[in-house]
Amino acid sequence: MIQALVFLPLIAAIIAGLGGRWIGKIAAKSITTGALFASCALAWPIFISFLNGTASSHVAHVLNFIHSGALNVDWALRVDALTAVMLVVVTTVSALVHLYSWGYMAEDESQPRFFAYLSLFTFAMLMLVTADSLVQMFFGWEGVGLASYLLIGFWYHKPSAGAAAIKAFIVNRVGDFGFSLGIFGCFLVFGTVSIPKILEMTPGMAGATIGFLGMRVDVITLLCILLFIGACGKSAQLGLHTWLPDAMEGPTPVSALIHAATMVTAGVFMVCRLSPLFAASPTASSVVTYVGAATAFFAATVGTTQTDIKRVIAYSTCSQLGYMFFAAGVGAYNAAMFHLFTHAFFKALLFLGAGAVIHAMHHEQDMRFYGGLRKKIPFTFAAMIAGTLAITGVGIAGLFGFAGFYSKDAIIEATYASNLPAGGFAFVVSVVAALLTSFYSWRLIFLTFFGKARWSGSEHIQHAAHGHDAHGNDDHHHPTPYADMHDDGTAGYLPHEAPFSMLIPLLVLTMGAVFSGFIFTGNFIDPEAGSRFWQGSIAFNAGLMDAREHVPWLVSKSATIVMLIGLFTAWWAYIRKPDVPAKFTAQFSMLYQFLLNKWYFDELYDLIFVRPAMWIGRLLWHRGDEKTIDRFGPNGVAEIVGMGSRLAVRFQSGYLATYALVMLLGLCAAVSWFVFGGAK
Amino acid sequence: MSYLDSLALTAPELILSLGATFLMLVAAWGGDKATRTISWGAVALFAAAGASLAGPAGHGGSAFFGLYTADAFGAFAKSLIYLAAAICVIIAPRWFEVNERNRAEYPVLILLAATGMGMMVSATDLLTLYVGLELNSLASYVLASMAQKDGRAAEAGLKYFVLGALASGILLYGISLLYGFTGSTHYVDIAHEMGGSAGMGALFGMVFVLAGLSFKVSAVPFHMWTPDVYEGAPTPVTCLFASAPKVAAMALLVRVSMVALGPATHQWQQIIAFAALASIILGAAGAIGQTNIKRLLAYSSINNVGFMLIGLAAGTREGVAAVLFYLTVYVVTVLGSFLAVLQLRDRQGKPVEAIAALAGLSQSRKGLAAALAVFMFSLAGIPPLFGFWPKLLVFQAAIDAHLLPLAIIGFVASVIGAFYYIKIVKIMYFDDAADMISPDNGLVERWTMALAAMLLVVGYVLIPWLGAASAQATGALF
Amino acid sequence: MITLGHYLFVSAILFVMGVLGIFINRKNIIIILMAIELILLSVNLNLVAFSAYLHDMVGQIFAMFVLTVAAGEAAIGLAILVIYFRGRGTIAVEDANRMKG
Repeated sequence: MIQALVFLPLIAAIIAGLGGRWIGKIAAKSITTGALFASCALAWPIFISFLNGTASSHVAHVLNFIHSGALNVDWALRVDALTAVMLVVVTTVSALVHLYSWGYMAEDESQPRFFAYLSLFTFAMLMLVTADSLVQMFFGWEGVGLASYLLIGFWYHKPSAGAAAIKAFIVNRVGDFGFSLGIFGCFLVFGTVSIPKILEMTPGMAGATIGFLGMRVDVITLLCILLFIGACGKSAQLGLHTWLPDAMEGPTPVSALIHAATMVTAGVFMVCRLSPLFAASPTASSVVTYVGAATAFFAATVGTTQTDIKRVIAYSTCSQLGYMFFAAGVGAYNAAMFHLFTHAFFKALLFLGAGAVIHAMHHEQDMRFYGGLRKKIPFTFAAMIAGTLAITGVGIAGLFGFAGFYSKDAIIEATYASNLPAGGFAFVVSVVAALLTSFYSWRLIFLTFFGKARWSGSEHIQHAAHGHDAHGNDDHHHPTPYADMHDDGTAGYLPHEAPFSMLIPLLVLTMGAVFSGFIFTGNFIDPEAGSRFWQGSIAFNAGLMDAREHVPWLVSKSATIVMLIGLFTAWWAYIRKPDVPAKFTAQFSMLYQFLLNKWYFDELYDLIFVRPAMWIGRLLWHRGDEKTIDRFGPNGVAEIVGMGSRLAVRFQSGYLATYALVMLLGLCAAVSWFVFGGAK
Repeated sequence: MSYLDSLALTAPELILSLGATFLMLVAAWGGDKATRTISWGAVALFAAAGASLAGPAGHGGSAFFGLYTADAFGAFAKSLIYLAAAICVIIAPRWFEVNERNRAEYPVLILLAATGMGMMVSATDLLTLYVGLELNSLASYVLASMAQKDGRAAEAGLKYFVLGALASGILLYGISLLYGFTGSTHYVDIAHEMGGSAGMGALFGMVFVLAGLSFKVSAVPFHMWTPDVYEGAPTPVTCLFASAPKVAAMALLVRVSMVALGPATHQWQQIIAFAALASIILGAAGAIGQTNIKRLLAYSSINNVGFMLIGLAAGTREGVAAVLFYLTVYVVTVLGSFLAVLQLRDRQGKPVEAIAALAGLSQSRKGLAAALAVFMFSLAGIPPLFGFWPKLLVFQAAIDAHLLPLAIIGFVASVIGAFYYIKIVKIMYFDDAADMISPDNGLVERWTMALAAMLLVVGYVLIPWLGAASAQATGALF
Repeated sequence: MITLGHYLFVSAILFVMGVLGIFINRKNIIIILMAIELILLSVNLNLVAFSAYLHDMVGQIFAMFVLTVAAGEAAIGLAILVIYFRGRGTIAVEDANRMKG
């Protein structure tokens, strides 16, 4: 069954990808979507059986992968509570995104390719989450990286999409380098790459040291940090986060699936999968905490200034991933997984909702040209509100709360309850970040759905309204009832609600965003029910979960309080006094520019890495390759060969005498060789 | 051992020589009209001779007091020789009908040449060696000059004759020295003497013998005749020269070097290694800039002989097995290439030899172009094709024999060699059509060519079998 | 006393003369045929001398074979020459270079 679950998407991807040309768009879309819904239908019973406590973790062997000396890697599918959570998240969101893409990509030429990539991605992600060994996990890890690259660059005729795809690929390589070093290190230290065996041997390795870069360092700390570098790359943590906002060049369903719900959480998953290893190294855990907290804060600050709707959500994702990491860092791995679980639903919802808005607004992504959409696309509006309530964590303790209320509060409380120095830092950051989250989330809602229509400033809208449809990939054909100019800011454009294939996923995800926290909080978080549910698949810290329930009142309410402050600020700035933001940015232009330019990370990297690399590359190209290797290598050799050829042909004069002479010379040479030395 | 037993061991030569005599009478009686009958008769004789190798003639041992030996090595080489010769008989009538008139003596001459080749590979005495070699050579001189309308054929025959006679003079002089300084013409006795204190006289003799034999395999610097003769001779004859006598001469060279001169391996190794490198490099360099495809194939055969000599220079069992392996693949490739060349005709039905005329062949004759591309890639040694594996084997043998520089230089030169093979593919597939080649029919040729191409593509499945066969054949020498 | 060395010396001189005859001669192909005969003669002299020296019959038998083959070789050589002359109307060595390169 688990085999079918994992391999159905692969089969569908192969059929749609290789045969899409013959079977046609509809068949390709049906096969991939059908396979994903089938996988999803197989995944939920597994998850529910773990919730009931009727299932236990097991491993389904598929085939021998590598058997070379001490390296013995089996292809095996591991199913335990942690995997079950991920299976549900991956297959559900993926199936919904497949369905959503029927509507969103309806006018695209190469839909079979798109759906094949989506299914391929899902297969790789399933491979990753069911991995029983680090090598298999790495396979899935690279597989999702590849699919991500292909999907970001799906509209490859746009230079910006190509550049973003390459950026994602290269930045991920940096992280993967750390990850692969970590795997090599594990093999070196433990003699195996099997995850259960490594975790089994971890206690015996505590305190051991290893030589690395000329220093003696703690083995487990080193391994954890190397692996965490990989996680940073995949999960866009501070330093290696730069690819994620650019990845928004891909189609919006891709952003929802890969860059919000599943792939970017792979790093968190990996840390949780190896949680006994991380738990054994306090140093590495604090590194995880600090990096996660810094990311949460950084991304939240940047999110407040962005104007592109997808970029706002992208930074929000980055920030929420930071939450998950510092939760893992303080030992609340279950809370991290819980937030991953709820986040998958509400963030996918926000992205797909944003996609519906973009769809309605004729591929305009700049929120400055939105406004007043509340009445035009009411269903999307409702879904986005639900998503925003979930991400900002609205809820009343003991009664009901949206998804984020449970998971985010659990994290904030756990950081406080952990009593670690890093935990204290993380607590302060998490509260501040929650404030910022609330602010930018509501800012998005207010700018998009409230106020007056500001659409006339948008080129996309003008194109649509005036019937100039020939622009790039997003050629929609909207009726244009008013051809002349209008004063109401609409430019005569009528936004339209998305088709049903897009609204149904929104509806399902809305359910998830509203109820997933409420329903599952016990199993994920509760000290007793939690330990029954997780069954040791992660390092479940019951003591921490217990302590979390007894934090001071102000701490447990802090998230709700800052959420309200953020909401009020956003309302004040964007509804009550719309001129406040302009005044603010004028007064604090330095800060504004700093945030708008994302803390100048891209510029910094350009200066430190890109330009020197380009300079070295040019030097090696012109001086090293063209003027040295090519000149004396291929070109030089070709020259010599040509000369040799002319020489050889000159001897072939056609005259018998010359031929006989050459033979005689050869004979004389051979004889001389014997007479004058050579042979002994 | 009685004479009758000895005669049984020489069954293939008996069949071929008696059959040739009979067919010669048929030719004298029936004239050129009987050509096709005689051709098929000759093919039947080759089949019979090949079948006789399954009997005592394939492994019976020494005959005629050591003048002749029937062993697995000889049988391996003879099967190749008979196969190649039979194909050269089959393809000839069509060519001669178009360009000359049919010649009834052609199959007879090939039969006689093949008899000589059989004696060359089975000879274990310098006397048999000489007689076999001359029987082959004399028939070849006539074959080379058979096309009377083409002035180039007589010139080719003349050059071949003069240089061949010079080469056999050198060989004979070496034989006389070897005989004088070792006291015998028998391989085993010579080896015995060489193993002791081989004097300068014997070494001189050895050098002369090797030089004479190098002419037959067309190794540099005794290769000068090859391009001219290949170009001038009628194409079916060129096909024969490139295949069967190469096998015979190479097998002869191997047997003489390993059996008669085996104890002096260190003395001749250097010379063979030099000839190998010179052949590879000159074969590769000379081919660049050729405009005639037959001439190009001549340089290609020089190049290939160089690779085979690397295997011989290793002087080991593995090296010799690699040579036999190489010969097999080479014969298949070269026969296929010439079959393809034979199919190139212009609108008047005249054979086309200019490489430029191949331009755009991929459009006008897809199958032919594809087959030719396979042959060229195989000659270049592009990995999955059959041509890659024997090269790998000879390099491996050379490395195992601690001849690393030889292997490295050979490897580099093979890259240069790949240039002109791939150039032909480029001309066929990427150049604008020259529109000179008209469709041609000839079922036997076409299917044989297709078979050869198929063999080269899927040949790697035969590697275990061929490897075992060549290893077994080699075992007869050690 | 004429020793083996004398025979070998004479034979070597004959051999070298034959070889030089092939490529120093620029005039006539007939002369090349003669030069080839000279080479074979030197070989025969060698063989017979060795045979006598070694008290071994094989050398003399070999010489007989060489003589026979040489006769056949000469016949074929002349035949080719006739064809060549028919086609070109000349047997000058210099003219035989239609094919080269």
